[in-house]
Amino acid sequence: MDLSRPETTARNDRAPWLTLKTREMLEAWLFVSPTVIGFLIFFLGPLVAVVYFSMTEWNLLSQKATFVGLDNFNDTLFKNPDFWHVVRNSVVFAIGLVPLNMALALTLALALSRPFFGVVFFRTVFFAPVITSAIAWAIVWKFLLQGEGGVINQMLALVGITGPNWLREPNWAMAAVIVTRVIKMVGLNMILYIAALQAVPRDYEEAARLEGASRWQVFTMVIWPLLAPTTLVILVITTIGSFKVFDHIYQMTGGGPENGTLVLAFYIYQQGFKFFNVGYAAALAMIMFVIVMALTLIQVWIRRRGTQ
Amino acid sequence: MKGARTGIIASTLALCLMSGAALAQELRVTVWTGSEAHLKMLNGIAEPFIAKHPGVTVKFETVPVADYTQKLTFQVAGGNPPDAAWMMEDAAPAFENAGLLMDIGPTVKAAEGYDFADFSQPAMALWQNGETVYGIPFSTSPFMIYYNKDMFDKAGLEDPLALAAKGEWDMKKFQEVSKKLVEANPGKWAFEFKDGEGYASRMTHAVLPPIRAYGGEMWADGQCGFDKPEAVAAVQQLHDMVFKDKTIVPPGEQGDYFSGNSAMTVNQISRASKMPEAGFKWGIAPLPTGPGGEAPVIGQAALVVFEQGKNKQLAADLVAQMTTKENVAIMAQFFPPARKSVLESDAFINSNKLVPADQMKSIAAAIVNGRVHPAHEKVPQIFAAMAPKMDALWKPDANVEEALKGVCAAIQPLL
Amino acid sequence: MTRRQIDIIYRTCWTLALLIVAIPFVFPFLWMVSAGFKSTTEIFGTPSLLPRVWRYENFIEVFTYQPFARQYFNSLYIAIAVTVLTLIISSLAGYALARMRFAGAGLLMLFLVSALMVPEEVTIIPNFFLIRSLGLIDTHWPLILLPTFGPHGVMATFLMRQYFLALPRELEDAGRMDGLSRIGIWWRIALPMSRPALAAVAIITFLFSWNLFLEPLIFLSSLEMFTLPLALSNFNDSYGLPLWNLQLAATTLAVLPILIVYLIAQRQITESFALSGVKG
Repeated sequence: MDLSRPETTARNDRAPWLTLKTREMLEAWLFVSPTVIGFLIFFLGPLVAVVYFSMTEWNLLSQKATFVGLDNFNDTLFKNPDFWHVVRNSVVFAIGLVPLNMALALTLALALSRPFFGVVFFRTVFFAPVITSAIAWAIVWKFLLQGEGGVINQMLALVGITGPNWLREPNWAMAAVIVTRVIKMVGLNMILYIAALQAVPRDYEEAARLEGASRWQVFTMVIWPLLAPTTLVILVITTIGSFKVFDHIYQMTGGGPENGTLVLAFYIYQQGFKFFNVGYAAALAMIMFVIVMALTLIQVWIRRRGTQ
Repeated sequence: MKGARTGIIASTLALCLMSGAALAQELRVTVWTGSEAHLKMLNGIAEPFIAKHPGVTVKFETVPVADYTQKLTFQVAGGNPPDAAWMMEDAAPAFENAGLLMDIGPTVKAAEGYDFADFSQPAMALWQNGETVYGIPFSTSPFMIYYNKDMFDKAGLEDPLALAAKGEWDMKKFQEVSKKLVEANPGKWAFEFKDGEGYASRMTHAVLPPIRAYGGEMWADGQCGFDKPEAVAAVQQLHDMVFKDKTIVPPGEQGDYFSGNSAMTVNQISRASKMPEAGFKWGIAPLPTGPGGEAPVIGQAALVVFEQGKNKQLAADLVAQMTTKENVAIMAQFFPPARKSVLESDAFINSNKLVPADQMKSIAAAIVNGRVHPAHEKVPQIFAAMAPKMDALWKPDANVEEALKGVCAAIQPLL
Repeated sequence: MTRRQIDIIYRTCWTLALLIVAIPFVFPFLWMVSAGFKSTTEIFGTPSLLPRVWRYENFIEVFTYQPFARQYFNSLYIAIAVTVLTLIISSLAGYALARMRFAGAGLLMLFLVSALMVPEEVTIIPNFFLIRSLGLIDTHWPLILLPTFGPHGVMATFLMRQYFLALPRELEDAGRMDGLSRIGIWWRIALPMSRPALAAVAIITFLFSWNLFLEPLIFLSSLEMFTLPLALSNFNDSYGLPLWNLQLAATTLAVLPILIVYLIAQRQITESFALSGVKG
């Protein structure tokens, strides 16, 4: 920072016992203190506490807690078949959602990064679900995906397809949740890609075109490498987002049918606040934390290696 | 200027937040009804109590019924328990075992002219443990068949009440009648599970009455009963009706009885208040009997007092006051009573303007003979373990016996 | 074919494809509004885009089955409170992190960055006990405090910091010469120059709070304390029976105003999200 800046004497008179540096430091800490205090109380403290919680057997209703060491983790990882089912669901959800979301976002961004007639309309349309509450979105889709009476199936019937009872079949329900979630969130990634694409100098592309490169070649050789940092950011955000999904599942399927959409975030809520097993839920939360952290670090590491 | 603006923002914020805070000496009673008529009646009952205790107010707080027990748990676990509350039958064991409910036995038994013995013994079963009394039932509501008279007339069928009077209203008849109803009323259904939630939040309410009619039980004494022959036969019949006969509204479909899309449903008497706007002729009949004889099912709710409440003695006094003979008789217009003296009175038989006396009599009989839904401390876990297995059951190609074995495998460890 | 013709064909194809892709984005909104005017029977009957009978009374009945006006107000004032608090706190911290040198800044940054990666579900259980020990269950405080100081607040701080870093220093130096204190520079110079960043933080914070679900679900129990998403997720009558058509009418009432504001200010709003994604 700019330390050579001349100080006015008046300021030094007011606080002669403070050196310039200490004064600046005090002021800075005052500026950040609301954030820091709030962060310690509502984030870091709970994050540390969750470690302790995870080693207790704690009933929310009777409020009785006993220290059980690593029993919760032992139960979860080695004895509870539901847990692995839930992890599988979360992974399926992420594997289904992330590539679909990113591919669609990139395609839409490529189509909408240059001005043409209707571009504003399309951008507006594709982004609108992003600002809508997930609950509202899920409410509407739950109606549209009803069995025989649902609008989607009635439309399919028009072209002679008998649609499944979407939200009553585990695999279809998972697919339905993934697709409706992609439609809801893809606009955000699209906007991020559009911003990145608009930062790509047009000369690059034109030069490549003049040399006879096809559109596809221009994309793979020129544009895609330039988008790498954005792709990484989007990949991290979308992956974390896919593990966090709660309200959408809560409203659309409630984890069902046959636990087919029971994902980790919902399972934590269920264990902690429906079954009152607070300690067990905390252990699940720890596991979720580790998974998300690991995924993030892996993604960043791969990208680093790729660019070196 | 700047200060003033901040001040305004701060005070508006404070005001908004204050409105949630409680006043001193205010008794909070959590209820799940938001109906104005219900609240007016409750406040009317509380009035003499307030008059007797200067400086005390009573506030009935509505918590939505869909998540009622869960929200009540949050209030208790959150260190903000109400003084008293309505409590559903399925929540009682968990709250009792966690030591959260006050023993109000001494208070009610000592109350003047209370006559505790007047409460029907089966109705008290869930709320009493030896001499300890955890709650006083204020609503003991049997499951009844609601039927659409117009649709029965159109099919040229006798209605369930008439059939019951002749002793012919059984599970077999129920299935036959259903087929004829659907034939005569194309595009409509014969039967809808309770509140249309038979495949979701009321999955046990859907299967319990038939299972009992066949002489079975969902679980008893720590033993799962779903895989017993009686239960399998009962559920097989329902399954056939859903997927073979196509007379019961299937999963993922809507066939709302109250909008005239189903000829019958199962529900409690409180829903009669929805009927005047339905626009068709209707009636109430007992549940169909079966090989196991009559099997009335009752849903129950009681008034309880919380051990950690700030004014628990005062709250216990309020509960005693709300469940005196006079007040139980007043509440009977909405909530079927558990006091024998009230049940036997003509006043009760004539208390509901919407339901004729002969139908009220079958209700009174069902209350006296009825049994509540099986209770358990771990009901939330049991339901959660059961739900995926029930999803598997309600499929066209499901093997009912195998599916019910699956239910037992899932819940037995919890029982 | 000439290059121009190919171009036209190419564009028409793209536009057609985009129109088809747009259907699942637009249709739910149209259906929601239309169904909000239907009776329950019609919602589950043969589908039609427009109601055969317009039930305007749905939108009146919404207010009789639940204290919907009160719930609407709750959502609104909580979102405003969260937005105002987040603006002040994140811009203060963002300014310090961008412009002031102090011991511990590096460490602080590292801690804050890590917060961005932690889902709220991880800390919700200890937070429940924290809020309980503060006696704030079934109040709106947790819905104001947790978003302001949680990962979302941190994201806002980074967004502000990034913006301040890119601002020219000269004006601030001039302010200092005039004897302005640090807080004066922040308020009189830095903030007025950061309107776009402040607007972005305000927009995403407002929507974040408006759409919040997990926290209200866990901390609120009384009907009149509910916020909109919570009220919508269980729109039942007093017996717990679902009121399908009213639920859709209520959802329409909750979504439409936001959607209209978005249509008016779509550029501003999408740019705000672009900023938050890239900088956060």
